[in-house]
Amino acid sequence: MDGRTTSAAMNDAELAEVLSRVRAGDANAWGELYRRYAPAIFRFCRRALPTREDAEDATTEVFMKVRQKLGTFDSSRPFSSWLYKVASNHCWDLLRRRRIRQDLETEDAEALPLEHPQPSQLERLQAEHANKEVREALAKLPDRARMALVLRYYTEMSYDEIADALGVRRAFVGVLLLRARHQLRDILRQGGAEVALAAGGK
Amino acid sequence: MSHFDEMTVLLHLDGQLDAEQERDFPNHLSSCEACRNLLQVLQKENIWLQQAFSSDEESLPARLREVPGQTETAFPWGWAVGLALAATGIYTLWSGIVDPWLTQASEAGFNQGNVLTMLFFSGAFWGGWDAMQSMIEFLSMASVAIAVLWLLRRRWKRFTVAAALLVASLGMLTLSPAARASDVYHGDPNYTLETGQEVHTDLVVMAQHTRIDGDVDGDLIAFSRSITVNGHVKGDVLAFGQDVRVNGPVDGNIRAFAQSLELNGVVGKNVMAWARELDMDEKTRVGGTMTLGSADAQLDGQVGGDLLALTETIDLNGTLGGNADIRGQRLRIGPNADIKGQIKYRGGRQPVIATGAKLASPVGVLSRGRPRPNYASPGFYWRQILSWAAALLFGILLFMLAPMFFNEVETAADSKFGVSLGLGLLFLVATPVAAIIACFTIIGLGVGITTFLLYLIALYATQTFIGEWVGQKMLGAGAGSGAVFARLALGLGVLHLLRMIPFAGRLIGFVVVLWGLGALVLAIHRRLRPLLTTAAV
Repeated sequence: MDGRTTSAAMNDAELAEVLSRVRAGDANAWGELYRRYAPAIFRFCRRALPTREDAEDATTEVFMKVRQKLGTFDSSRPFSSWLYKVASNHCWDLLRRRRIRQDLETEDAEALPLEHPQPSQLERLQAEHANKEVREALAKLPDRARMALVLRYYTEMSYDEIADALGVRRAFVGVLLLRARHQLRDILRQGGAEVALAAGGK
Repeated sequence: MSHFDEMTVLLHLDGQLDAEQERDFPNHLSSCEACRNLLQVLQKENIWLQQAFSSDEESLPARLREVPGQTETAFPWGWAVGLALAATGIYTLWSGIVDPWLTQASEAGFNQGNVLTMLFFSGAFWGGWDAMQSMIEFLSMASVAIAVLWLLRRRWKRFTVAAALLVASLGMLTLSPAARASDVYHGDPNYTLETGQEVHTDLVVMAQHTRIDGDVDGDLIAFSRSITVNGHVKGDVLAFGQDVRVNGPVDGNIRAFAQSLELNGVVGKNVMAWARELDMDEKTRVGGTMTLGSADAQLDGQVGGDLLALTETIDLNGTLGGNADIRGQRLRIGPNADIKGQIKYRGGRQPVIATGAKLASPVGVLSRGRPRPNYASPGFYWRQILSWAAALLFGILLFMLAPMFFNEVETAADSKFGVSLGLGLLFLVATPVAAIIACFTIIGLGVGITTFLLYLIALYATQTFIGEWVGQKMLGAGAGSGAVFARLALGLGVLHLLRMIPFAGRLIGFVVVLWGLGALVLAIHRRLRPLLTTAAV
């Protein structure tokens, strides 16, 4: 399933109507909007942030922001893109603030050369790991790598939007994504090795 | 050619390569199996990631199933502030205005059932335009009406402003005295109650010319071009007409809205009149007080109580038992005058007092025109705060009643400043003119009064629209009631502060009225346009 669509998709006219009612302060319309989009935003926050509690808090905060900023939303553009933009800005801010507190993340790994992948190995990796394991691996990635992958493969943002959200040059987005993929693969491979080791050691 | 690296393939998949790099792809792929495999496996990896990220074993946590910002717990400050302000506003309105006003009204001989007349005479007309700004009693009525409509709204899903206006108009019409009558006559075209005839209940007459020679046991309520009362009326006389003449004795009160009013008889209680010309004969005796709004008043008779007059010129040449409070251009006190109380006069020219006049004390002449705001007095600021709280309460009620419409008016104000000002000026002048014209026809009277009241509500409401706009410019455009209340509070506060500036403040107040009224008209027009086009088809 595409991450951007919601379980009960609203058509454009319906959405526009609901939005204008929300702007006018209609609490029911706000509830409707929230219920339609909350699952997708929660899932996004769950991927973008390290813990479930963080994701729950962030979901509420994102919707409060949405409510405040709804006046700035340009209705000629897709609402879900805007929503994800608000969500990604919020999550990224949260992560960045924590990172400053926890001292700067070492980004030295990004200077290392990447080895060319073997298609057969990649195929095996994909076959061996279930969705859940991939998500667990994702949670172990450094913030920026994780964020880049989520923005690209969950919210399907363009390179421009990702560059904007993460505050990097557009030309760097490709590199960021590639490295993030490599890191994810490494974690999955290591995880598999650890499991194998643990099994063998018994 | 060498193989593509992973980066290039990835950028290709994401459509990020430029045209030149992209050109080499098909040729190379068709001949190179390794690159084809890489492309395929990365493509699969994309899908694999997408699926992993969006598939969901976790349902939405219970605490997120509650909509944030909808319940009180999520946004308590907005409600707390709103309710506190509303409570303050209601307390202020009641203790400061409604209660004393009702006391005053009952002193002047009004019972509470007669609210419309009370509002009509003592509210909108008596004070005139100058008093409108301090006319918070009017606001209390409007607020209560809006609160009632808001309560109705919950039952009425498809509630529109048009419907609200309709209900308001109907309510006003049913409130009008005619609806409470026991005996109603439509003259064809004239109505006469012959001498010797007696009506044992209230009498309501609508006719071209009305002549009452007989007796009326209850109240007489007449809508007529000319009204002459020669008989004995044991209740009140309520007269709406061009020429009103009361010769016979009236045991109750006289309330008249007329172009010219002549009083020649004995009135048991009070007289309240809005008339261009008022002539009170020397034989006339009024037991209670007299309240006048007129251009030209000639008082030769006897008034037992106080006199309250807003007139252009007034001649006092009779007996006055109580005090007089007079505002006008010219005051003449004739030789037969016998004033037992004090006279307070605020007017354009110095009063002229004839030599024979008997005055208990000298005429107290107050400064001309409206007193300037006294910036040194704390009372001035307290009144500003009260006025702010009242306006805020009104704005909140208005917003709760019709949030969509409120928003539309604001959009109109924001996007069409010039048009709003022009339209505002037009409607500011045209509406009362139309309402007054409507009042001259008998059927139009209800419509005229309703229009006028709605017009006053609209004028008062303008500051809330513009206040909200100001608040939005300062605080940003957040949705939700809490944010709207905060914006209203701030915006109205700013407007009140601006209006306190000497001279420029009045101009600002005027622009706010024009601008808000124009925006309101625009928004109503937009609302009605689909209706009008359907009606045309």
